[in-house]
Amino acid sequence: MKKVTRRKVLKTLGAAAAAPFAAPFLNLAHAQGATIPIGVAVPLTGNSGPYGPDMAEAAKRTAARINNAGGILGGRKLELFIEDTESSASVAANLTQKFINVHKAQSLVGYWGTPEGLSSRPIAIQNKVVLMVSSAANAITEGDTQGYVWRFQMKATDWGIVISRAAEKLGFKSFGIMGLQNAFVLPIMKVFEERITGAGRKVMDSLIYNPEQPSYRAEVERIFGKKPEAVCCFGLLPDFVSIMREVYRGGFDSKVIALSIMADAEGKFVQAVGPQVAEGIRHFQPMPDVSASGYKKFVQLMGAPADRLFLFPPNTHDQIAITALAMEKAKSPMAVDWSKQIINVGNGPGEAVDDVVEALKLVRAGKNVNFQGAGSSCDFTPNGDQIGRGMGQWITKGGKSAFVEYVKP
Amino acid sequence: MISFIVLMSIVICFSAILALALNFQWGLGGMVNFGLAGLYALGAYACALLMLKGGFNTFFATIGAMVIVGVISGLVAFVTLRVAEEDYFAIVTLGVGEMLRLVALNEDWLTRGALGLSGIPRPFGELVPAEYYAYFMLAISAMLVAATVWFLNRVARSPFGRIMRAVREDDVVAATLGKYVLWARVRIFAIGGALIGLAGSLHAFYYQYIDPTQFSTIVIAYAFMAVIAGGRGAHAGTIIGAAVVMVLLEGSRFAKDIIPWLDSDQLSAIRIIIIGVGLILLLIFRPQGFLREYRLQVELK
Repeated sequence: MKKVTRRKVLKTLGAAAAAPFAAPFLNLAHAQGATIPIGVAVPLTGNSGPYGPDMAEAAKRTAARINNAGGILGGRKLELFIEDTESSASVAANLTQKFINVHKAQSLVGYWGTPEGLSSRPIAIQNKVVLMVSSAANAITEGDTQGYVWRFQMKATDWGIVISRAAEKLGFKSFGIMGLQNAFVLPIMKVFEERITGAGRKVMDSLIYNPEQPSYRAEVERIFGKKPEAVCCFGLLPDFVSIMREVYRGGFDSKVIALSIMADAEGKFVQAVGPQVAEGIRHFQPMPDVSASGYKKFVQLMGAPADRLFLFPPNTHDQIAITALAMEKAKSPMAVDWSKQIINVGNGPGEAVDDVVEALKLVRAGKNVNFQGAGSSCDFTPNGDQIGRGMGQWITKGGKSAFVEYVKP
Repeated sequence: MISFIVLMSIVICFSAILALALNFQWGLGGMVNFGLAGLYALGAYACALLMLKGGFNTFFATIGAMVIVGVISGLVAFVTLRVAEEDYFAIVTLGVGEMLRLVALNEDWLTRGALGLSGIPRPFGELVPAEYYAYFMLAISAMLVAATVWFLNRVARSPFGRIMRAVREDDVVAATLGKYVLWARVRIFAIGGALIGLAGSLHAFYYQYIDPTQFSTIVIAYAFMAVIAGGRGAHAGTIIGAAVVMVLLEGSRFAKDIIPWLDSDQLSAIRIIIIGVGLILLLIFRPQGFLREYRLQVELK
């Protein structure tokens, strides 16, 4: 056997370490040339893993549609780089660096969770690249973003406003509130509590619970034991499953109000707990206006049945569409130029168009457009918050979610 | 591309310091530290809070974080008075790590809870132009890694290094020879803790935003992977181990840019499998790791 020396080991390891990094050089020219690179960061694994694959698919189909219609900026095609955030803030930050430094992307889309958005925000601003997130926490757009950070989602505090109004309308007199220790839940909870007490209703008790606990028995006993008429629970699917099991076991009869990512999660909640436990839970979630023709066209684009409800993928579609429109409007692929056109193409003034290819034609002809997206009407405040996205309300009956109403904040 | 390699090299540097600290505590001192993620979080939060709330500059905040994590680690090691057995001590560290993580997640008034701390200043952030900052930070980080290795090599070759190995191999024999085992263990853990504090500070400087999700248990797994792959007890090997783990993690993402039929959904599942297979192969063909501990190297010759 040949002797293994430190030098040999180092040489081999050095070469092995360099190889994967060096390989992309081979197609770098291709990436920098005619195509326009866009970084797509979505959760494909980890605790928000279920939400990512459809977002990636929406991005692919939207980009393909724009490319098939001739691309933008005189025939340049969009090239997507889709990566898995692993539902982690530090992984998302590393990905953002890869998009910007390796692929030279000027537009970063996806970014489902709040930590992912918050860790990538300073990188995007420093590099003067547009970051379009799908996360709700107010902190994402707070402070000076220099026009580079845009939220394609309803702001968390607005969720609290809509839900408190609905709870008031339902006529409950007393409430218990439970919230997961999570960056987007806390603002919802705070606003809800303020609004509901402001409306003269009684909050009997409220608590914040930790993620990934094996049991939530103590929390459930404390809140439900006080027998409020309704309990509002804000969190994610795994914790809500164990909470509702405890509630059922304890025989408590307060009505439960939750978010759809917990109490529906595309049927996963009912699968986990059974229809009896889920019966009568009311749940809320920001959703696209399903009656808008922009949304209907999106469902067709996805090749899904007409009644299928997509919560997040329409936002990814809008992020790609707004990127393309703003670039075309600014006649530049550089974020320094086109970030200033986002409000222009989103809010108008101009002709209201809900199809990205049609809108691109108008922009190319020098006209003003007011793009109406699939997830919302794509209107923004100057600091990057989206306005005009509404919220849906459902009630679970016989293991199925029945739609109640659609309201805007 | 160059800037991405530079940035990832910075990540390798602070992962290497973290792995070196673990190697010192576990590889040389025989004290398993499963509370690594919590202590790493403590380092990052201490450094960030000393700057954001305490008004310290980056240098003193780093020193402060090292002292805080070092002292807490020393206190943790003090329980070895009662639970000297390796397994029991591992459970204690696991508990401490979890406690620290829960404090970071729940004490909103101090750590802003799940929202995390943002806007963390960087060393000489105002003086160095933004486009060169990555190179500057890599230079600092590389120097710190070099300094850490130099320091740890000195310690490993000193009389205290011999006590460490003696305690690791058999604490009863060490005690019989008149060595003060408890005090040695406290010192081992405190020195390792200070280095964890240093790694945590660099983590905070690099990301400029910290939140509890960044310090999940996977951090512990990566650090142990780096130490095992590098060769338990070997400092230089640990750095190579940390680099290999990082290259496997980040480099494997490029697989889909090279192999056209592999798309991101498939890759995200396959990547973790590739990393696992890589480590299994390494352990089959080179179970002792890349390099050997200094004493054992001498014996080999």
